[in-house]
Amino acid sequence: MRETPITRDMIADPKTHYGDAKASTRHFITQRVTGLINVLFLGLLLFVVVRLAGQDRADMISVVGNFWIGVPLAVLIAIAAVHMRNGMRDTLEDYFAGSMYRLTMLLNTLFCLIVGLAGAGAVLKIVFWG
Amino acid sequence: MSVRARPTSPHLQIYRWTITMTMSIFHRATGIANYAGMALLAIWLVAAALDQEALNLVNVIYGSWFGQIVLFGFTWSLVHHMVGGLRHWVWDFAVMMEPGQRELMAWATIAASVIITLLIWTAFVWMA
Repeated sequence: MRETPITRDMIADPKTHYGDAKASTRHFITQRVTGLINVLFLGLLLFVVVRLAGQDRADMISVVGNFWIGVPLAVLIAIAAVHMRNGMRDTLEDYFAGSMYRLTMLLNTLFCLIVGLAGAGAVLKIVFWG
Repeated sequence: MSVRARPTSPHLQIYRWTITMTMSIFHRATGIANYAGMALLAIWLVAAALDQEALNLVNVIYGSWFGQIVLFGFTWSLVHHMVGGLRHWVWDFAVMMEPGQRELMAWATIAASVIITLLIWTAFVWMA
């Protein structure tokens, strides 16, 4: 969220209102809510991986292709991607500023979009088209 | 009167190593590992969506000794980040923050993540 590094003067002056109160609160709540939902994701992931690790495509389709397994899995992967982007943003804010922060955030968004869309898309393809 | 130059700010290595700080570092490290590891899940699912040939290739790589070590580490990383996240969730209610309590929770985090990971692999991989 931050483009310029925080200086002592900014912190000392309460009138600067550095940071974005609304966006930061949303970031905090989003991370908590998606994190709790990720507990469900890990449960479903454990079930799917234990059932299907090393199995053939036919077995994958019979389990992941089930609407009530595949659709929740796809939704949970998308939610995990939001959590990934949010969490990586916290890390990037700690080590980068300015244009370097914007570049790393762009790469972060791209990576989470690709992983989320590929993962959820692959599951939905299996569910609806086999 | 001459005044000797004094250190202006203590460097990281001057602090006593604590379990809470170790778990904080672990939480960030496992978060980054999970971030990268999610690509492994996406690759597996995409291969399954494509065809049997692609899935066979992924199964060979993930089933190799190196793949199994990575997946074991990924399991621990996911479990540790989950337990660490639940610890943060407890803190959100402004409890378990006192001296002793936070160290207890930090030790419980690492103990729980190791035990749960070993239970998962024992029950579903080694004994299966």
